[in-house]
Amino acid sequence: MSDDLSLDLFDGVEDPEPTSAADEPPPKVEAPTSPEAREPRVWSVSQVNRAVRGLLEDNVEPLWIGGEIGSWTRSRAGHRYFTLKDDKAQLRAVMFQREAAALPTDPDEGMKVRALGQLTLYEARGEYQLVVRRLEAEGTEGLWRLAFEKLRGRLEAEGLLDPARKRRLPAFPECVGVVTSPTGAAIRDIVSVLRRRAPWTRVVVSGTRVQGEGASEDVAEALRTLVRSGHCDVIIVSRGGGSIEDLWAFNEEPVARAVADCPVPVVSAVGHEVDVSICDLVADVRAPTPSAGAEAVVPDAEVVLANLRQTPSRLAHALRGMTTRRRERIDDRLLRLGRAIERRMAPARQSVDLSTSRLERAMRSLVDKRKRALTGAAARLEALSPLATLRRGYAVATRPDGSVMRSVDDFSPGTDFVLRLDDGRVEATANGIIARREDE
Amino acid sequence: MSEENGAGEEAREEEMGLEGRIHRLEQILARMESDDVALEEALKLFEEGIGHVRRAERILADTELRVEELLSADRTEPMELEES
Repeated sequence: MSDDLSLDLFDGVEDPEPTSAADEPPPKVEAPTSPEAREPRVWSVSQVNRAVRGLLEDNVEPLWIGGEIGSWTRSRAGHRYFTLKDDKAQLRAVMFQREAAALPTDPDEGMKVRALGQLTLYEARGEYQLVVRRLEAEGTEGLWRLAFEKLRGRLEAEGLLDPARKRRLPAFPECVGVVTSPTGAAIRDIVSVLRRRAPWTRVVVSGTRVQGEGASEDVAEALRTLVRSGHCDVIIVSRGGGSIEDLWAFNEEPVARAVADCPVPVVSAVGHEVDVSICDLVADVRAPTPSAGAEAVVPDAEVVLANLRQTPSRLAHALRGMTTRRRERIDDRLLRLGRAIERRMAPARQSVDLSTSRLERAMRSLVDKRKRALTGAAARLEALSPLATLRRGYAVATRPDGSVMRSVDDFSPGTDFVLRLDDGRVEATANGIIARREDE
Repeated sequence: MSEENGAGEEAREEEMGLEGRIHRLEQILARMESDDVALEEALKLFEEGIGHVRRAERILADTELRVEELLSADRTEPMELEES
């Protein structure tokens, strides 16, 4: 006997498989005209359940059903069993592992959801249920937001989002690592910015899938490989904009852990301005776009060049400042010395009769002489200010090791020395020494 | 002797990258702006500083971005990218 049923059992419903019904004439449901004349046709439970299942599956299109989650359980095989409820009724539902794998997270008990699925009958139990293909929490981003908050909570509890963990980026990275799709828009944007801003840089791209199942683990592995290569001073983890599902790999634990473990500072540049990812939260710096990520890791060549062009005048200014400070110190000493002499003179003035003009003149000439000597010393020291002096046409004699030769005593006939002039050096040899006389 | 030292320094200097030169320039400026630097040292620092400026400018003018794709932890190859 065929297991297939004619569906005349259910008035007005067509047989989905009319060919199988041809094996047996359809049973009549009307009461037999005479009980003795004919035994009632008895159907097995399996037959009935199969018939009802066929009825449900063939006559009810897949549909969205809204309700609250109840009794959520997860089987060893990864299937999810739950009920959908409202205040008056409930409906059993199952989401098999293949579909459930796409869930960002399991929903919470009592959460308002909508489920797209096929109504069917579980024949073994005679229970009708919804086989769910998609499950979405109500409200924007629903389950995605829930999964995000759950992971954020865990990472926060571990201290991985602590601002104190954020490292400063190197001012001048020689090598920038990039973890992203090698064919995406993100890498083109990043390279274009780096080329413009910091052409002296080396860029090492660690290519990876950035979306789809397992992408988070792939991104994490690409980052770890890049770290092992040891090339980079700073790393950009990036992906261009997309839907929340496209960006999801950057909201999952593998990426979060790899970024947190990275010994090199990481800039996260995922999606667009509005998208904040878990990767952004764990990274040392969050950039709103891939281009902004590139701008964050290197200085601008224009600025570097402008600074460089100012450097020679800063150097010269420092040198001038140094000689000025020296001159000021000498002036200060002269002044103090002069005052000391005046002070020494004062008691002399008191003790000596002012009419003894000879003594006074002698004293004055003594002071004048000392002042002249000191002024001469100051002038000589000033002459040591090298640049100005050299530029005026003077030369400095130095030993080959660069030390300055200050006296004729430093020379003897045949001494090799170097004359330093404003625009270069002359290698020279002393021919004869003529000492200056004392009174000159 | 001192000539050899000078030549050695020169060679090391040639290898310095932009980052190293700019870092060294900051050191030189800080040293020259301090009070205790001797005149002779200041002159040497000045000359060294000017040299770094010249070479750093050359690095900026001459270099081109190198882009490589990581094939494994110890292997890279040059990568071609279309400008976006």
